[in-house]
Amino acid sequence: MKDIFWHIWQVLLRELQRIVSRPLYLGSSIGAMLIAIFFFMTLMERGAAEKMPVAVVDLDQTSISRRVCHEMQATPSVDIILLTNSYPEAREAMQQGKVYGIFVVPEGFYRDLVSFKRPQLDFYVTNAYTVGGNTSYKQMLTMANLASGAFQREVLRKKGMPDNVIMNRIQPVAIEGHMLTNPWGNYTIYLVSTVLPGILGVIALMLTVFAIGFELKSKTSHEWLRAAGGNYTVAMIGKLIPYTVIYLVLGCVCHLLFYNIAGFPVLGSHIRLLFGLLLFIMAMEVMGIVLIGCLPTLRDALSVGALYSMLGFSLSGFTYPNMAMLPPVRALSNLEPLRHYYLIYVNEALMGAPATNSLLPSMALVAFFIPALCVAPRLHHALIYQNYPLK
Amino acid sequence: MVSHRFYQYWLQVKESGWIFANELRRIFRDPGVMVIFFLGTLAYPFIYKAMYWNEQITDIPVAVVDLSRSPESREFLHRWNAAPDVRMTYSCTSMTEAERLLRDQKVHGIIYFPRNYADQLADPLGKAHISLYCDMSSFLYMKGIYLSCNQVMLELMQQIQIDRYENMGLNEEFAWELVQEAPYSENALFSPTGGYGSFLVPAVLVMILHQTLFFGICMLAGTIREEKTELYRIPGRRRGYSAFRTILGRGAAYFVIYYTLAAILLGLLPRLFGIPHIGAIGDILRFNVPFILSVIFMSLCVGFFIRNRESGLVMLVPTTSLIFLFIAGISWPKEMIPVGWRYASYLIPYTWASNGFIHINSMGASLWTTRTEYLALWGLTAFYFVLAVAMFFTAGYLEDRKERLASQSEGDRPVLASEPVPVQA
Repeated sequence: MKDIFWHIWQVLLRELQRIVSRPLYLGSSIGAMLIAIFFFMTLMERGAAEKMPVAVVDLDQTSISRRVCHEMQATPSVDIILLTNSYPEAREAMQQGKVYGIFVVPEGFYRDLVSFKRPQLDFYVTNAYTVGGNTSYKQMLTMANLASGAFQREVLRKKGMPDNVIMNRIQPVAIEGHMLTNPWGNYTIYLVSTVLPGILGVIALMLTVFAIGFELKSKTSHEWLRAAGGNYTVAMIGKLIPYTVIYLVLGCVCHLLFYNIAGFPVLGSHIRLLFGLLLFIMAMEVMGIVLIGCLPTLRDALSVGALYSMLGFSLSGFTYPNMAMLPPVRALSNLEPLRHYYLIYVNEALMGAPATNSLLPSMALVAFFIPALCVAPRLHHALIYQNYPLK
Repeated sequence: MVSHRFYQYWLQVKESGWIFANELRRIFRDPGVMVIFFLGTLAYPFIYKAMYWNEQITDIPVAVVDLSRSPESREFLHRWNAAPDVRMTYSCTSMTEAERLLRDQKVHGIIYFPRNYADQLADPLGKAHISLYCDMSSFLYMKGIYLSCNQVMLELMQQIQIDRYENMGLNEEFAWELVQEAPYSENALFSPTGGYGSFLVPAVLVMILHQTLFFGICMLAGTIREEKTELYRIPGRRRGYSAFRTILGRGAAYFVIYYTLAAILLGLLPRLFGIPHIGAIGDILRFNVPFILSVIFMSLCVGFFIRNRESGLVMLVPTTSLIFLFIAGISWPKEMIPVGWRYASYLIPYTWASNGFIHINSMGASLWTTRTEYLALWGLTAFYFVLAVAMFFTAGYLEDRKERLASQSEGDRPVLASEPVPVQA
């Protein structure tokens, strides 16, 4: 037993020397991750979309149409950057991506309004850009309803009613929206708490493939096995310990940054969330072993690893929910460790669910070790005989 | 004299052609590059299309907590349940029960009617409240639940308003006119369903082309380094370098492959997939030219620094794709991106290519309307081309001079520039 620890220590020391021998190892783990953290934490200064540019086509040019513009401009979510009297001009601005919505006040709006001819307001939003389109849609919908409400208010005022009574008549029902655990509708919280761990996972997979594949490619696997006393398991454990520690430290940096500094909510347990992250990283490393075990060349394994790991972001279902995918695709998403980490994250951070809810996704992450056991004989054989083609 | 100079040019053109053919051979003999170039570009779009097949999220399970138990609240729920977005799967007697369902992810939203809901509606001066609780694990849950509920509320509100005005003594017709005084029509342009796939797949198609080309070229550049030669060397020769010929020859090889792939991905697939495609195909094909060229030259510039066949993939895969996607202002509006990052995004072809392609393909803009992006891509093409030529030329010149000086000081016979070296298989 003592022997095993001594060998693990030997492999670990050897690996540390390899890590510092080339800038690639630290650059692609710590360097890349710090860049990603910096990028995503500074990308969204404000978490919610504000001041989305829209165009107003004012064909009426009266005091009431100008008032609609003023009130719209005063709202936080839209910004009128184009005020014109030609619809084609506004449409072209939309096609150029300059505005996300067009609000049209028809000709003779005021005249028709006072003579009860029911003029119609039109608004157009683009669906080619989701966030911008939705934000301007909500605001224009509110404006159109307010315009109708403003008119009712004028009529009722003339009938001598006090304002507070009028308001309840105009809006007899109100919906109070509660966005649980993210009451600000903050996009940053929603995005980075899955994307950054996801990036860390991709790094873990790619670097594991590289670290093992490079031994094969440069024919140093004998030296590696010798340090491990010829034991395959010891060789793998010793090799992956330093990387796992690096990833775990980076994961803790993310965790501190999210939940202690930026103040993202965690309703459940910090420990279980971090433990889920550790399991996720290990599952990604293990998938790296599977890939290099199955695919002969380092380069092919990396190419396939890149295609496989990048799919995890979409398949995890944090942008487009998993339940809306076709059943075979939904089944496929279980092959991505990020999917299971996301479930743990939802349970622990957003829902504050009991530990039993996170049990199943945790078990799924552990299950990724099974294919690694299957490729172990093949990879061990390759380490001994170095019979992988080099190109 | 003229014919001699012409012959010299012809030789150079022939040499570029030879480099072009050699590069094509290298690509097709390299399984790693083939996986990225062909498997990546041709399989990925189908996976993404399959993922977003349903376009919209329907039947989001919600729990109902109706403490008022009134015909009014039932009317509301009845209408809401008819909306495609939601499905009421649980009816709870208390909020605690509903919260537990939400916590266990059995439902993604809760609607709560307080005990006094019907009384408030009946009171001519009252205001009724409905509470809506949304699961924020995906923004699409919130969007579906909130917007459909809002829609039902607006419909019902008009009815309530009319009732109240009638109770005030206004005649029915006038009440109706008052409520309906300023109707509006909402029009979602360019994607009638507002589907998520219709929005994201065009951007993903451009991303697939951009990133596979980028990674593939970086891999090929690393391979050249491993074969103990340099990007600016003319293949098969130890001496003699050329920035122009190597860049043109190699670039042409990538261009031939990727222009074809881009025509398939950006021209054919949107039609095949049934996602919005209202742009003119000729405009898309013309737009692809500077897009592919700028990516090629950018990748050659980046590949210049890559020393290993594999290091490019390990360094670039985890971070670049997501950073490029978000910095381009597709998922997150460009107006909300800090100025510094926005300026940085101008150097990435993806920013212009994705926005330009969406404008032409999904929004039916002409090439003239989207000239900003088109010209910017030509600008990037020129910029990266000049940069690549300058880097290749400088590096080649410096190394040649060093070797010349070394061989002179040793008094060796200078090696002929055209001395052949056996090509490694």
